[in-house]
Amino acid sequence: MHTRMFACAVLFVVALGGWSQGFAKEIAGSDIEELKKQMAMMEEQLRFLRRKVEQLEARPAVSSDPTKAAPIAAEDKIKRLEEKVDAAVAASRKTFPSQFNPAITLGIDTIGSYRSRNQGFNPGDGSGGRDDGRAFSNRPAGADFNLRSAELFITADVDPFTKAYGVLNASADAAGNDEARLTVEEAAIVTSRLPYNLTVRGGRFFADFGTLAHRHDPELPFVDRPPSLDAFVGGESQTNGVEVSWLAPTPFYLKMTGAVGNKLGGDTRNGVPANQSRPIKGLTYMGRVQTYYDINDDHNIEVGASVAETPNADDASVPPTGKFERRLVGMDFKYRWFPLGRGLRQNLTVAGEVLHDLGEADPVNGGRRVNVLGVPVRQGAWGGYAYAEYRLSKEWRPGFRFDYFQLQSEPLLVTNPGTGLFGSTRNAAGHRTDNRTWSPYLSWYPSEFQRLRLQYNRADRGNANDANEFFLQWTVFLGSHSHGFMERD
Amino acid sequence: MKRILTNCWILGLLLACAPSVWAAEKISIVTTLPDLADIASRIAGDAATVESLARGVEDPHGVPVKPSFIQKLNRAHLLILMGLEYEHSWLPALVDEARNPRIRRGAAGYIDCSVKIAPKEVPGTLSRSEGEVHPAGNPHYNLDPEGGRAIAEAIFEGLARNYPALTPQFEANLKAFLAQLDAKTREWEALSRPLKGLKVVSYHRDIIYFADRYGMEIVGEIELKPGIEPTGGHLVELVGRMKARGVKVVIREPHFSEKVPNQIAAQAGAQVVKLPIMVGGAPEVKTYFDLIEYNLRAMLKAAQAAGVAGKG
Repeated sequence: MHTRMFACAVLFVVALGGWSQGFAKEIAGSDIEELKKQMAMMEEQLRFLRRKVEQLEARPAVSSDPTKAAPIAAEDKIKRLEEKVDAAVAASRKTFPSQFNPAITLGIDTIGSYRSRNQGFNPGDGSGGRDDGRAFSNRPAGADFNLRSAELFITADVDPFTKAYGVLNASADAAGNDEARLTVEEAAIVTSRLPYNLTVRGGRFFADFGTLAHRHDPELPFVDRPPSLDAFVGGESQTNGVEVSWLAPTPFYLKMTGAVGNKLGGDTRNGVPANQSRPIKGLTYMGRVQTYYDINDDHNIEVGASVAETPNADDASVPPTGKFERRLVGMDFKYRWFPLGRGLRQNLTVAGEVLHDLGEADPVNGGRRVNVLGVPVRQGAWGGYAYAEYRLSKEWRPGFRFDYFQLQSEPLLVTNPGTGLFGSTRNAAGHRTDNRTWSPYLSWYPSEFQRLRLQYNRADRGNANDANEFFLQWTVFLGSHSHGFMERD
Repeated sequence: MKRILTNCWILGLLLACAPSVWAAEKISIVTTLPDLADIASRIAGDAATVESLARGVEDPHGVPVKPSFIQKLNRAHLLILMGLEYEHSWLPALVDEARNPRIRRGAAGYIDCSVKIAPKEVPGTLSRSEGEVHPAGNPHYNLDPEGGRAIAEAIFEGLARNYPALTPQFEANLKAFLAQLDAKTREWEALSRPLKGLKVVSYHRDIIYFADRYGMEIVGEIELKPGIEPTGGHLVELVGRMKARGVKVVIREPHFSEKVPNQIAAQAGAQVVKLPIMVGGAPEVKTYFDLIEYNLRAMLKAAQAAGVAGKG
């Protein structure tokens, strides 16, 4: 016990000491650099003035007495120049409130689509869980155009120790006569100067789970989010919570992340609204480890593993009562061929993610996970996707995605082929239902800030009618549009 | 169990302290581009290890954001960059993720070499309709020997600021570099005389400093706007302009495809010359001096082949 306490104390002192010294050095260093910059500017001004003096001295004097008039004229000239320089320097040092405005990007993502069949019962259809108006695969059969999102991304340093960012999304709300609905997708504070390669993020954010779950819709490599992610994560990996990440001081890239939050993504299993408290074991605990390896200059590979666990202990305040545990595990990989010299015009990405969901909770519809007979069960479900994208030129990128998932809950009811109504026929097969989607797509980038994408989905759904879907996506970015590390290609 | 916990604490402590232990020997300098690495290694001498993130054959505007760069930046004492938003599409994300306060923008270890130059082509108005413009001016100043001088001076000041005890050593190295640069500059001035007045077209707007230094005239670019691929109409107009102005040399940077330059050169009766824009952009270009000399000789060769080299 003493040994442990001593080790704790040593670690605390080292951490505190290193941190405070780091801060002092940085602040002092910053001030010194500012002074150096000012000195450099003054030196430049002096050099400029010297040159002017030399030029003036080299000129023939206008006065009848060149030996006296020329120096006086030169001095006068220097004085006037000094005044001008001083005025210019003073003007350049003025600050305006707008200079502290954060970097802003507006992403507009609009989609025209056609679906041959109504998808019916499906994860994310709003029947019992997520309804964010952006899950395009859940829209009714037919054709339409829709503003999927107008996302405003804002970021800036708060002070020397933290930065913050927010993502506001005005998306079309199908339930509200397609009027835009403003939601705060992310609003988080991130530390920037913690010692020992630590970073803490708090607020509402997309948790570091897998490779695509934390990406916003316009940043996805496809039109729609892979259906398996919709089913298992519930769209983006949004959570309200706190996250700590650590970059290991190893010769190779190794990053570990741990987080705790109210939920993960569109998870509605315990029926507790996001803004209400829950038992400690009702929170979702997340972890991720990822590493990267350069095979050579042109080839590299990245692998990661993620877990999200909600123990959800017995608690009468959580409806419905009873133990209600869920564990989601994911393994992801990304291989990249990016030849030096022509990588921006020709490259290949092959990536994928395998997910396994185990538990007693239905993350989509809430309540217990049930089998085909409606009996509560504890069971696992597999899912995942893989895609390959080849960059033909700077502008053209064709790709292909395959997605597969099993439902966490067996669907009790499916569409009656005769009437077309939902819920009229029991699933006669009585076995687990699989969903498969094949998706070729083609993206065209006229510039870094604009993209058009055509995608076809062939959905073979065990729990509903098969469907063909066509999408035409047009996305633009206004403003700074700087990619973060997490959003890298 | 207690022993395991204690061992875990000690392991954590060792890992946490590891970077400072590993970095105790030499100054670790990471540069964005190889030109900076070459000059930094000359100024810092034996006191530092220098590594460039980008390679000479890459497009400096689109270096891939590799996680392996994170580790290098995490351990770096100094980061040297071109500035003027040259590396804007990839460096900020890396620096942000590297968790190294020493090299964050504004910190003492963040050495922006552009502070020493007078930028050309600073846009009067900022609009994306002008393509991927650099708000602070054209950043390709490394192609002018005076840009090399500015880089060397900025690196020296950065080194001296961070390691004042080693200033005499850095100063001696700087003087030696500048003396060599002065001598070379005189040679290059003589060598480049036949290029004065030469009209050229380049793929990207990246040779303005080089062309201005040696008296060449840039008639146009293959790109529609900086960073934007050409349209058919633009190429037709460009070929017409080349014919009208007598442009006989088309410059292709190594990271651009050769198809379009070859096409327009054939239509306009011009020669295509492959011009590296960074150290390492061609096998022969191993140093900054090699870069300038190689480019001048390549231009001379192309101009002579096209029959438009002046007498000098």
